[in-house]
Amino acid sequence: MSENESNFQNVPPIDFSLAESRASFQAAIDKTGKRIRGNEFGACPIVGGEFLSGGNTLPSVDPADPERIIGTVRLADKNDTLRALKTLKGSSKSWAQQSPEKRHDIIKKAGDIMLERREELAALIVYEVGKPWKEADADVIEAIDFCHYYAQEMLKHCTGRILLEVPGEKNIYLHSARGIGVIIAPWNFPLAIACGMTVASLVCGNATVLKPAEQSSIIAFEFFKILLEAGVPENACALLPGIGEEIGPILTDHPDVDLICFTGSKAVGLDILSRTATVQPGQQNIKKVISEMGGKNAIVIDEDADLDEAIKGVLYSAFGFAGQKCSACSRVICVGDSYEPFLERIREATGDILIGHPADSSTFLGPVIDATSRDRLLTFISTASQTQTLHFKGNVPEKGYYVPATLFRDVDTQSPLWKQELFGPVLACRKEDSFEAAVSVAMDSEYALTGGVFSRSPQNIEHAYLNYQVGNLYINRSITGAIVLRQPFGGSRMSGVGAKAGGPDYLLQFLQPRTITENTMRRGFTPELL
Amino acid sequence: MKVMVDILGVNKVTDSEKLSGETGQAFEQKVISFGKEIFSHMNREKPGFLHANFWSDRVMEWSMAKPELKANMFRLVDVLPALKTSSAIARHVKEYLSQVAQTIHSIAAWGVNIPPQSIRARFASIAVRQGVRQMASQFIAGESAQKALSKLKTIRENKLAFTVDLLGEYCVSEQEASEYMNRYLEALNSLGSEVSGWKCSAPIMEGHPGEISPVCVSIKLSALYSQCNPLNFDRSVKVLTERLSNVVRTAQEQNAMIYVDAEDTANNPIIYKVFQDVFSLDEFKDFPYPGIVLQAYAKESEKTLLELLSFAQKRGKPIAVRLVKGAYWDSETVSALQNHWEPPLFQKKESSDANFEKLTKILLQNIEHVLPAFGSHNIRSLAHACCYAEELGIKQDQFELQMLYGMADPIANAFKERGYLVRFYVPLGELIPGMGYLVRRLLENTSNESFLRHTFFDESEIETLLKKPAAGS
Repeated sequence: MSENESNFQNVPPIDFSLAESRASFQAAIDKTGKRIRGNEFGACPIVGGEFLSGGNTLPSVDPADPERIIGTVRLADKNDTLRALKTLKGSSKSWAQQSPEKRHDIIKKAGDIMLERREELAALIVYEVGKPWKEADADVIEAIDFCHYYAQEMLKHCTGRILLEVPGEKNIYLHSARGIGVIIAPWNFPLAIACGMTVASLVCGNATVLKPAEQSSIIAFEFFKILLEAGVPENACALLPGIGEEIGPILTDHPDVDLICFTGSKAVGLDILSRTATVQPGQQNIKKVISEMGGKNAIVIDEDADLDEAIKGVLYSAFGFAGQKCSACSRVICVGDSYEPFLERIREATGDILIGHPADSSTFLGPVIDATSRDRLLTFISTASQTQTLHFKGNVPEKGYYVPATLFRDVDTQSPLWKQELFGPVLACRKEDSFEAAVSVAMDSEYALTGGVFSRSPQNIEHAYLNYQVGNLYINRSITGAIVLRQPFGGSRMSGVGAKAGGPDYLLQFLQPRTITENTMRRGFTPELL
Repeated sequence: MKVMVDILGVNKVTDSEKLSGETGQAFEQKVISFGKEIFSHMNREKPGFLHANFWSDRVMEWSMAKPELKANMFRLVDVLPALKTSSAIARHVKEYLSQVAQTIHSIAAWGVNIPPQSIRARFASIAVRQGVRQMASQFIAGESAQKALSKLKTIRENKLAFTVDLLGEYCVSEQEASEYMNRYLEALNSLGSEVSGWKCSAPIMEGHPGEISPVCVSIKLSALYSQCNPLNFDRSVKVLTERLSNVVRTAQEQNAMIYVDAEDTANNPIIYKVFQDVFSLDEFKDFPYPGIVLQAYAKESEKTLLELLSFAQKRGKPIAVRLVKGAYWDSETVSALQNHWEPPLFQKKESSDANFEKLTKILLQNIEHVLPAFGSHNIRSLAHACCYAEELGIKQDQFELQMLYGMADPIANAFKERGYLVRFYVPLGELIPGMGYLVRRLLENTSNESFLRHTFFDESEIETLLKKPAAGS
């Protein structure tokens, strides 16, 4: 082990300042566009290595241009779901007993394959969920980082360790698979999160089924084919694209399921937790639920903050990927005199960000994920405008699921605008008299995922270290874009169960610890004393 | 690239090799003895900001005496202008300096141990604020061109030229971009109308192309467009071409010179493209000596220079090229390291120095296409440029030397007295946005690798300071 805790290194992002990088990425965008027109993409359930046909379908569309169908998704139904679980049950033991080294190699290889195809995967993300270039690239490299990092971490846990020994007694401590894992993934990091959760489960030896979000089924399908290509046994994994409301409960309630790993809304996360508390007939294990939910994240801008940095940091944290990140900033609390200059500059800056199709390299603000999301956000903005002070609302193209970047000022801390997670480009601002008050208002939330501080006072920064207790606190920078092992990610309160994705403790949740003690005394002798 | 070979006479370019033998050694001797003359001229007189100013002297002295204090001291200087009340100042002083205050007695002058709400704290913070203002005023000539007129006049009366630079905040919106644009136009107009009336606006050196106008403005292009970035390349070029044209048009009316400043590696390709596009326009084809900046610390800089020379040749009229080491080393290196990218800049200071000399030669070898301006405080680098020019028979009225205002007056004077045209790069702007500039200057003066530090503080051996830099990575 190096001083870095491991020899793991993150995959470098693409340096888009280089003309040749931009040209190469543009070629991938063009090629993917052509493949979309040629109907080359699609998705269907994969069970036991078999691509299942028949049943209902749903088109996956480009949210910036909904007339463009990315591909048709053949939805998994109840039968497919039960079949998948049955297949996994049949093979879960052999996958769990596969040597850790072998599992390591397979998952690492999955990362390597993605690395080779990083541009085409990113281009597909650009089209299917409307993510701008840089962030689509970040999505892909995070997925690769997860493969490489978890593969390496697993070896540490799954190799037996001797903790404490006395003569005549051998004590081994090791971790093994829990059994069958169900992964329920969101669309907002269609590759990174789906991949991170799936490979964490698989690499630990759990037979695993992935249920991706409907909106990003095509990317999930491409990812799943890579898992098979890398050598994950056909019977140890299954893909079930489908409607969450239909197949989600079947998966979570099934007695053969040992582990559920979910990232998504608070409502669904809490529902899973309560459902799985009931033991089903035939159920062997108490289900382990790893649930990552939302955030209503705030940035505190101190009176002495460097406003240049604060504006840039807030702009990116609030409107990057149209605010559709659980880490996104949706609240700003300014201390004292920083308020008015901040409001003035952020309004102008927000008004000038470039809005467009994410396939256009210059786009800063793209669409939200779908019509439902857009309508919900637009309604919310117009309702909130009746009771709160609208500070700025931008323009958006007519075509596509765009929501204008919107700013509110002097927002009441009791209003839904201040409290509810919106998952869109909407930012609520207010002012407090002191830094301490600002931090306590920031913490006065049912969530505790990310948070930010812009300050140049050592004492206030120390105050934030101690009192601003969110899962990921960022000081004098933007609050999104956690990187594997550099910023293990996850929150507490209603944001999640405290699992830190991309961190050293994450895999332990996918594993069952075991202790083996052997009495080595036989008929009056023990090998150690011979 | 074949054209390039003809234009640039690559045979000439490679003559660093020719100079490597005995001639090389003779030349090297010349550079060193020239450098020594400059040193003896200066007699190690300290630049103004070091002897005239209690505050900058203290800050420097403390920072160098206690490296652990340096970061805190500079962070404090950085935040001070943003603080509005005396209790806020007193509180920050205490927070940054109390841990080190015990070790350096004179820090007590900054009011570390005074309760923030007290009257004494108010006086102490006034003193501190005053101190920072004074310190800044050594490097920043005024808030605007109008307010800096008397200082600019003094510069010219001292037989030195100037180019002004406008300091400001990051440009985050088009409103801010248009404010910048107005500041540039205002600077050009007010300097244009004022300076021509000065007696001292007569050319310092008759026939020197840098003296066809006493007014010269350096433009930071990224300030003119809030959405300037490489992923928005085409639009950035288009918008900035229009906006720079606007500035150049005013410069033309006011008979002023223009330098387009280089910035970070990410935006530089946009900047070089805009420069070439604007000065290819029919409207500006006769614009005299449009200036551009080349950063020797950039690994790409030689390639960039060849492109610029080729552009000048195509244009048919020479351009001005200010060769500098480069000012964004830390932030760019950090960003490259964080992203696991190959750093775009030479990692050893000596390599940048060596590259500076290499580019110096290329510039001078192509003197028919350029007005070279050597921007440095490093006496070795400047001596090398002067000696190499002499070697090629290039006269003193065919190139110039540039230095930052307030940083190196003794060096500037020494070269001036040897008959060279020296131009000061003079920043203008308010204190808050000026702080970044001030802190960079302070860092530059206190860094372990600083030529100025070695020259004025450490009194290093002159021989060591004048040693030929080795090329490297």
